[in-house]
Amino acid sequence: MRRKQEFTLALFYCRNIPGSTEKERQSLEKEYGGALRLFPLPCSGRMEPLHLMKSLEEFADAAYLITCPEGGCRYSEGNTRASKRVARAGLILADIGLEKERIGIIANTLGNPRPLAALAKEIMEKAARLGPSPVFHPGVRGKKARVRKSRDAGPIRQALNAPLDGLR
Amino acid sequence: MITAEQKPMEEIRESIAPFKRVLVLGCNSCVAECAAGGEKEAGMLASALRLAARMGGKDTLIHEKSLDRQCVKEFVIQVDEFVNEYDVILSMACGAGVQAVGDMYPEIPVIPALNTEFLGETRDQGLWVENCLGCGDCMLAQFGGVCPLARCSKQLLNGPCGGSRNGICEIRPDVPCAWQEIINRLEKFGGLDRLERIVPPKNWSRKNGGGPRSIVREDQKR
Repeated sequence: MRRKQEFTLALFYCRNIPGSTEKERQSLEKEYGGALRLFPLPCSGRMEPLHLMKSLEEFADAAYLITCPEGGCRYSEGNTRASKRVARAGLILADIGLEKERIGIIANTLGNPRPLAALAKEIMEKAARLGPSPVFHPGVRGKKARVRKSRDAGPIRQALNAPLDGLR
Repeated sequence: MITAEQKPMEEIRESIAPFKRVLVLGCNSCVAECAAGGEKEAGMLASALRLAARMGGKDTLIHEKSLDRQCVKEFVIQVDEFVNEYDVILSMACGAGVQAVGDMYPEIPVIPALNTEFLGETRDQGLWVENCLGCGDCMLAQFGGVCPLARCSKQLLNGPCGGSRNGICEIRPDVPCAWQEIINRLEKFGGLDRLERIVPPKNWSRKNGGGPRSIVREDQKR
């Protein structure tokens, strides 16, 4: 069960961005004390809107995706596809009355790509302004969030490595 | 295939509001191909409905399941074991699937989550177009394989209206003139003389003149 006034960010990212080795991921998660849950992807094109939705459902106050810069996708168009999917997920959130900014996408810079840690910090600061999710705190919309501790993100990790059935 | 689009979220939420235990049932055939009601879409709709329920402080139980086809009872039977655990089935199939499931489980309300649209083809990624009305008396051979009933905005059977420009229908700039395509194809295959024949008014009795249609094949029956 979640504690009140905590904020957790689910951050999916393409493994091709700098500073995103498994060791760096673990160290970053440790640094944020569980408020940041990182999900590496072979390419941002692997992202399905359902992954973001399930994150918001299970444990996260916001769910973001970091992609390679436009024109920089190793698989040609994974990042552009991801961008469309994230936009669609945002529309679904708006449809149910949840701020669509709780889902977002950030493209890395083309010339001098920033490392995962810098991007994560920037996204965390931006997303935390939304406050805790009304999904876990009905009626607590818009209050300032405290960035700390989080809940079980296990199902999302499993789902990324499994067919869609794994999300059930 | 049969195409469909998801109903507005507000309408869906309203339709399931009286129920406490909801089964979102996807269909992995036609409506999955047009990204409206397959496994992924069922997952997303169920997830969105759960989020909405929690935000509203409701304890509605919402699960999702997908079948290969909802319009074939041999597939629908897969939910037999657990369907009684739910108050309502929110079907993401076409109208045929919704009704087949309703026939199987007359004690449980079955509500459509999709608006069934048309018989069509996947012309490109993310683009589905209507190209068959299912009239029951196919005339494609006569028109070079292009159906003027489904693809001509005015459903003309005896030549173009004269309103097209550069092969584009005057109704909308994204609609090719079906008659331009008919002529192009017949010309290519040396069949323009077919257009000399006057086509009589379409006999619609084979589509909807005698109530619901059915096909009986004795060799396929039990």
